[in-house]
Amino acid sequence: MPVSDLTYEQGAPVQTGALSARGAPRLHLRLTPHKSLTPEGFVWFIGATAALIILPLLSVIGTAVFWGLLPFVIAAVVGIWFGLKRSWRDQDIYEDVTLWSDLVRIERVEPRKQPRDWEANPYWVRIALHTKGGPVPNYLTLQGGDREIELGAFLTPPERVALKDRLERELRPT
Amino acid sequence: MADAAISGHDHERPGFFTRWFMSTNHKDIGILYIFTAGVVGLISVIFTVYMRMELMEPGVQYMCTEGARLTAAAAGECSPDGQMWNVMITGHGVLMMFFVVIPALFGGFGNYFMPLMIGAPDMAFPRLNNLSYWLYVAGTSLAFCSVFVDGGAGTGWTFYPPLSAQNVATSRAVDFAIFAVHVSGASSILGSINIITTFLNMRAPGMTLHKVPLFAWSIFVTAWLLLLSLPVLAGAITMLLTDRNFDTTFFNPAGGGDPILYQHIFWFFGHPEVYIVVLPAFGVISHVVSTFSKKPIFGYLPMVYALVAIGGLGFVVWAHHMYTVGMTLTQQAYFMVATMVIAVPTGIKIFSWIATMWQGSITFATPMLFAIGFIFLFTFGGVTGIVLSQAGVDRAYHDTYYVVAHFHYVMSLGAVFGIFAAVYYWFTKMSGRAYPEWAGKLHFWAFFIGANLTFFPQHFLGRQGMPRRYIDYPDAFALWNYVSSIGAFISFASFLFFIGLIFYSLFYGRKVTEPAYWGEHADTLEWTLPNPPPEHTFEELPTREMWDRNPHH
Repeated sequence: MPVSDLTYEQGAPVQTGALSARGAPRLHLRLTPHKSLTPEGFVWFIGATAALIILPLLSVIGTAVFWGLLPFVIAAVVGIWFGLKRSWRDQDIYEDVTLWSDLVRIERVEPRKQPRDWEANPYWVRIALHTKGGPVPNYLTLQGGDREIELGAFLTPPERVALKDRLERELRPT
Repeated sequence: MADAAISGHDHERPGFFTRWFMSTNHKDIGILYIFTAGVVGLISVIFTVYMRMELMEPGVQYMCTEGARLTAAAAGECSPDGQMWNVMITGHGVLMMFFVVIPALFGGFGNYFMPLMIGAPDMAFPRLNNLSYWLYVAGTSLAFCSVFVDGGAGTGWTFYPPLSAQNVATSRAVDFAIFAVHVSGASSILGSINIITTFLNMRAPGMTLHKVPLFAWSIFVTAWLLLLSLPVLAGAITMLLTDRNFDTTFFNPAGGGDPILYQHIFWFFGHPEVYIVVLPAFGVISHVVSTFSKKPIFGYLPMVYALVAIGGLGFVVWAHHMYTVGMTLTQQAYFMVATMVIAVPTGIKIFSWIATMWQGSITFATPMLFAIGFIFLFTFGGVTGIVLSQAGVDRAYHDTYYVVAHFHYVMSLGAVFGIFAAVYYWFTKMSGRAYPEWAGKLHFWAFFIGANLTFFPQHFLGRQGMPRRYIDYPDAFALWNYVSSIGAFISFASFLFFIGLIFYSLFYGRKVTEPAYWGEHADTLEWTLPNPPPEHTFEELPTREMWDRNPHH
């Protein structure tokens, strides 16, 4: 699920000092990019690869040639293992939207980078959806506080439209 | 939190050097692969033309120990130079197998179109992709060294011991050939890790494995075969290298080694290798046939599982390349049956292509001509494959021209027709310009006639008993060798014409702006993009409607 609602989950928002003083947030969304490889898929793929690549090794067991082949076979399995894991890690990126009645906070966490954040008063936040002209279609930006930021650039365009509608409703409850 | 980037969109274009030499863009790397493979292919084809010149008449007229000649009329004595002949066949085999067909289909078209078809913004590891390409270039240079240094490597592309121990004391050429295969293997392994990761983890949301276009599937299966078989080859030739240079005896009976074991390991790689060569062509042909029959591809799921089954079966049939080494009857019976079983998934694919064309509204544009040519010729080569799979019959045909004809029908006429189909199908997409249709058709007919004229008579030669890999032959084989050489010259002329056609179209071709210029049945994701596609594509993830326009399959 690329946009997951964590509002009512126990202890979901990771809060620090001053923020926790505000109490439970009204809304807590986590935006994550789509990963098409499931953990089960990973197990199946590595399992099938290892099973097939073991075949030539079985036929040379007991000969010196076995030891000549083994390092290359291991290197191949290890290589694809790290490749898939690394690809997952590269996609371990998320944006957390946390909303209280007087503060909206967005935090972006990327692998191998400092987390970045942005805070504003929800009353003054302006949400804009740029259908064309942005780096992606339906580019979603939020203006407030001291600067303008992007949100959910890694989501699909329809997901950004839905996200915009939801945020507009939640930012200014009637 | 990332700042908004609405105004900063028009970043500057990279310069020529940065774009082509330090590229991390999968489309640019794909184009580099295709052009490099084209250059290496031309050189490798020139080798064959020289060989066919030599074989045109009985006796040795060109490859003389007194020096290689270009005209038979050259005066003076000519004593046959068998080593030069062996170097030519080795160079042709190594270059074509490792440095032309795989880089063109898998490296080139795979790199360019697989990420586009699954809606990925680029490959999973763009810089690794660049490394793969340059390793391929480095490997190519080593392969050329193996042809030109120290009298050249004359072992054949299989490097069988004890033949591979030739000139250990005086020549480094075989070592160069082994290093060339090493480096190209490293390149292909890194490439396949990249492609597998991209395919598995970067598909657009909702694009399940049963929705992925067939070309992307074929590239994935190819990558998997490479990953499984290349380490085995790398191990085998490394042991060969130590046997040559460090007096190990992995394959030397004098020290307790077993040369037959090398053949087993080599063909454990070598048989999947022939599927590695041809599977991407299967993927291309599926799209081309569907597009020009104006019908969705018939039997999508069986097509996918046939690809997987061909890949899987490819690993359990290797010893049919070596029926004559003295296996037990039971072993031979097994490999015979297993080999024939491959005809089942292959038949599924052939019949599905025919069923796709059935009652379709067929346009005979150039890519479709090449696709139909592929289906016809690949089936033909497959049938002689069934003949050769019989262990008893193979006793007669082993190492004759019948085998040469068989594998050239499946590879030279199969994979290469696949490459040309892909080139004509996607040329306008990649360049933004159209090729002249009449020229494409002329190329097809010249190549189709030429290639058939080259290889069909070789069946007769094989049945007459002419052995492979010889510089000369008795007068009895003269007629069909003459015909075969004429065919080779026609094919070569058509290839030169093709090169001219490509460069003419690149610079002077009509500009085409319509994204899906082949009509609405070209319905994979690359057809939603402009010609040529912009530097960055699908930073937006494509939506389901874009790629799932025939939800019934």
